[in-house]
Amino acid sequence: MKTFGMKSDRTTSRRVLIADDDPVMRHLITTIVKQQEHDPVPANDGREAYRILQSDSQFAAAILDMAMPFLEGLDLIRYMRSEKRLMRIPIMLITAEQDIKLMASSFTAGATAFLPKPFTPEQLQSAIRMLLGNRNATRRAA
Amino acid sequence: MLFEQTTNNENRETNPLPFAPPVEITSDAIDLETLNAFDGLQADDGSDLVVELIDLYLQDGSERIEAIKLAVAKADGKSLKVAAHTLKGSSSSLGACHVAEISATLEQVDPVECPHRVDVLVELLSYEFARVKKVFGVERQRRLA
Repeated sequence: MKTFGMKSDRTTSRRVLIADDDPVMRHLITTIVKQQEHDPVPANDGREAYRILQSDSQFAAAILDMAMPFLEGLDLIRYMRSEKRLMRIPIMLITAEQDIKLMASSFTAGATAFLPKPFTPEQLQSAIRMLLGNRNATRRAA
Repeated sequence: MLFEQTTNNENRETNPLPFAPPVEITSDAIDLETLNAFDGLQADDGSDLVVELIDLYLQDGSERIEAIKLAVAKADGKSLKVAAHTLKGSSSSLGACHVAEISATLEQVDPVECPHRVDVLVELLSYEFARVKKVFGVERQRRLA
């Protein structure tokens, strides 16, 4: 079992929370995050991600699936945006829904990026790169 | 669109359909172009990422289809929607377009209101998934050779 205690700045700044109940997508995102020299922290569903976030805020970014058992991606975004210690973590929402209203809702809730499925590996790579770059830009500006 | 509504009276259980599938399967089970797009990515241990994704998909897909069948047997619309939604996502990502389309349709159908349509769709889903399994099996062997 993994522990999610406090880590040093250097370590924590490279960790990315990945919550998706689809093992194919989780593995794919994990692989790309590793390629971009970050450390993936996978969660099998929304509840597991929520439990991780309750005791751990040291993430460079979070990549969440919209439709997950127990707790949806949008619920997690709302939770993260209501907690001061999680507020600054950039979040990308991934979804198989093609609804434009959902995209609007996710940005209103506080998502940084939105990626509809299906996507090509290049699109996913670029989106993750932008998400992590966005975070770095925020840190530099701070 | 592969699937079209065939009748306005689908929930008329007194007049069961003669079970002609409302779909026409005309193309291959897998869009290999979609699958091959993953070739540029490599798993962290140097192994073939596509093979890993295929293995995960076949394992998880079988479980999702069982979950769909169970949900249909229990007329549990919520569980049906969840399982169909996840199968839709992974199938479209790996190019299993017919499985994705059938899953997308199943996601929208109420098993209580349209039990006959759901039965047909589940049967088609099993058939299409078996085709995908076969193609992925060949692709897997080719990549490991």
